[in-house]
Amino acid sequence: MKTRSRALNPEELQRFGEELDALRKRTVATLGERDARYIRRSISAVRWLEVAGRAALFAGAFIHTILIPAWILGVLMLGLAKILENMTVGHNVIHGQYDWMGDPQLQGKTYEWDIVATSEYWRKTHNFRHHTYTNVRGMDDDIGYGLLRIFPEQKWKPFYLLQPPIAVIFCLLFEWGVAIQDLRLGRFLSGKMSFAKLWAQTRPVAKKAGRQVLKDYVIFPLLAGPFFLPVLLGNLAANVMRSIWTYVVIFCGHFTADAETFPKEVLRNESRGHWYLRQLRGSSNISGGRVIDVLTGDLSHQIEHHFFPDVPANRYAEMAVEVRQICKRYGQHYNTGSLFKQFGQVSWRILRHSFPSRPRRKTALVKLPSMPVVDVTPEPMQQPG
Amino acid sequence: MSAIPVLPVPPATRPPSALRRLVQPLVTPMVFDYWASRVHPLWRWERPLARVLEKRAESADAVTLVLQANGHWQGFQPGQHVNIGVEIEGARVWRSYSLTNAIGSERLSITVKRIAGGRVSQHLVERVQVGDLLDIGPAFGEMVLPPTAMPSLFLAAGSGITPLMSLVRALDAQGMPAPVTLMYWARTREELCFVAELRALAARHANFQVRFVLTRQAAEAADEASGRIEAAHLAAHEDLAAHCVYACGPSGFTAAAAALVQDRAARFLCEAFTPPPRQDSDTGTVQVELAASGRSLTLRRGMSLLEALEAEGLKPTHGCRMGLCNTCVCGKSAGTTRDLTTGTLHGEPTAALKLCVSSATSDLVLDL
Repeated sequence: MKTRSRALNPEELQRFGEELDALRKRTVATLGERDARYIRRSISAVRWLEVAGRAALFAGAFIHTILIPAWILGVLMLGLAKILENMTVGHNVIHGQYDWMGDPQLQGKTYEWDIVATSEYWRKTHNFRHHTYTNVRGMDDDIGYGLLRIFPEQKWKPFYLLQPPIAVIFCLLFEWGVAIQDLRLGRFLSGKMSFAKLWAQTRPVAKKAGRQVLKDYVIFPLLAGPFFLPVLLGNLAANVMRSIWTYVVIFCGHFTADAETFPKEVLRNESRGHWYLRQLRGSSNISGGRVIDVLTGDLSHQIEHHFFPDVPANRYAEMAVEVRQICKRYGQHYNTGSLFKQFGQVSWRILRHSFPSRPRRKTALVKLPSMPVVDVTPEPMQQPG
Repeated sequence: MSAIPVLPVPPATRPPSALRRLVQPLVTPMVFDYWASRVHPLWRWERPLARVLEKRAESADAVTLVLQANGHWQGFQPGQHVNIGVEIEGARVWRSYSLTNAIGSERLSITVKRIAGGRVSQHLVERVQVGDLLDIGPAFGEMVLPPTAMPSLFLAAGSGITPLMSLVRALDAQGMPAPVTLMYWARTREELCFVAELRALAARHANFQVRFVLTRQAAEAADEASGRIEAAHLAAHEDLAAHCVYACGPSGFTAAAAALVQDRAARFLCEAFTPPPRQDSDTGTVQVELAASGRSLTLRRGMSLLEALEAEGLKPTHGCRMGLCNTCVCGKSAGTTRDLTTGTLHGEPTAALKLCVSSATSDLVLDL
């Protein structure tokens, strides 16, 4: 396959970064009323959908003639409430996108989202490691989450032959996977971490998870008395629905066919322009307009989100117009496609790389003046990956 | 200046009630606030908040707002101030105002004078409506009444009248237990506030005298005088040995008042409203106070605060060092910083200052 982006020379790289910095500056200068309204309306949608969803589940539990339609409707509304709370509100607020409002309940440093994972660990694994070291092997734990082999650069082990069914289970339990990501169970199992340290790390997660389990699987079902089962199953279905959707969106963000990973060496003295370029090469958008934007909390604009993680996400769609033009001017591929196309590519990667595979040739990010284009991965081209 | 004993500051939050402890694991404060505020606008889990009950013009460019605070606000003593937060273009901005009235523990009034270019004062004077909600901080300030009545001399200039008005009203409610004289400076008659009320009080209490001093108009009425503060104005107050003197106004005024009476008075309390001139710059050094650890440091301007703090041997929590990950954010309660990614200056207090991409341009107070 031919490469879709060209290597930039250092001068171009600097201008590329400056143009994106200027776009950010222009956007930040106009933050105001409408951004505040957007996040408050999103919160209203979360609150009303949750109440309506839980009410529908109770209605179905008590009025047996409408059990099935009410249950389905209840699951959809409750699941949607959880999706919006996590993606539109939680993820974006925790990034500090709305810190400028000065609202004590919308501060990135203190917001606690409605999911088993603690915000505290998320701030570390996601805001810092994933966003700073995006798709850098050995630095960004989101590459396969320490469980899956998505890129040929990851070393193959026979364990990966089981990857397709494991990926499905991981998808259904994704919220739990995210919750334990920072515990680094692998290090404990391989004897690199003491039990005492593991336990100290687990306690806050266990406490948060306990509350979530108590709420969805004990207290709300108990409120339905003898008809607890439809409520319990409805809450379970809504949580799984949220897990599947967040898994799909997140995997589409960095694991599509054209998404690249990078060796640690790229981080040495990395310039702002190079960092931007790495974000672009490692991220992919989902096209689909307003509906997809709302349902993903604007993570459909993964490229813009990685360029500007602290800019309110409701601005990404309009920033994308200019980002595309900038990418085009610098001969960089803007990786976007429908949900089916992008997730199809992700699924193929999961299947393909469960078997041994070797990296193919890629375009370097930077063209050094004295040298021809340098391969990031020197291995010769093999069968298509 | 001798200190007047101050009542102990009430705890910031009250211990949770039995009901609150029961509900706590099930509902987060944010969810509780959303639904409770739909039942009653002032109901919140723990956030102090006030609603505008009444708005009336006090002079050509000042309004008095009567506010109803919710139960999370801890009340105040006459003469104290509160921080009031308003939302302007999506962002909350805070300013301090003196409380001008004592009406129970949850009702309060502030008098706001419109200042040219002042975002908050313009918002409060022009746009705030009855029924609007304002954020409110705990009351603070040491210009309160002594525990036992003392003869007092009140010196007010401009908006410096507001805390003294609160003291006068409190003394009125006590029946003026000791002689009080209020001297109130303003540029013109039109800028004076509370004139009718003060004259009525002077007529009612033999113990209370008021004198209006105008700096840009000639005196006409019997209780008027003119000119900037000088010894002649205080000629009737030769003996202040038993007096408590309060001075409130712009810093030039309070400095002049201090020079005139501080050595002669039994007690002298003053508060200056005009902040000292800001010295924003990108070179040289600034004083940075670290409120949580009680340290004070001299840091270089023109470099990120994270680097400047590290150069002093501190290790603030941080992540990406490029303004992305929000790990190093900390609160800033005073001072101006420059955002190094956009070049803009930020002078408002904030809960979330990114140390890695902000440099100091003035002295700062940080929550570190």
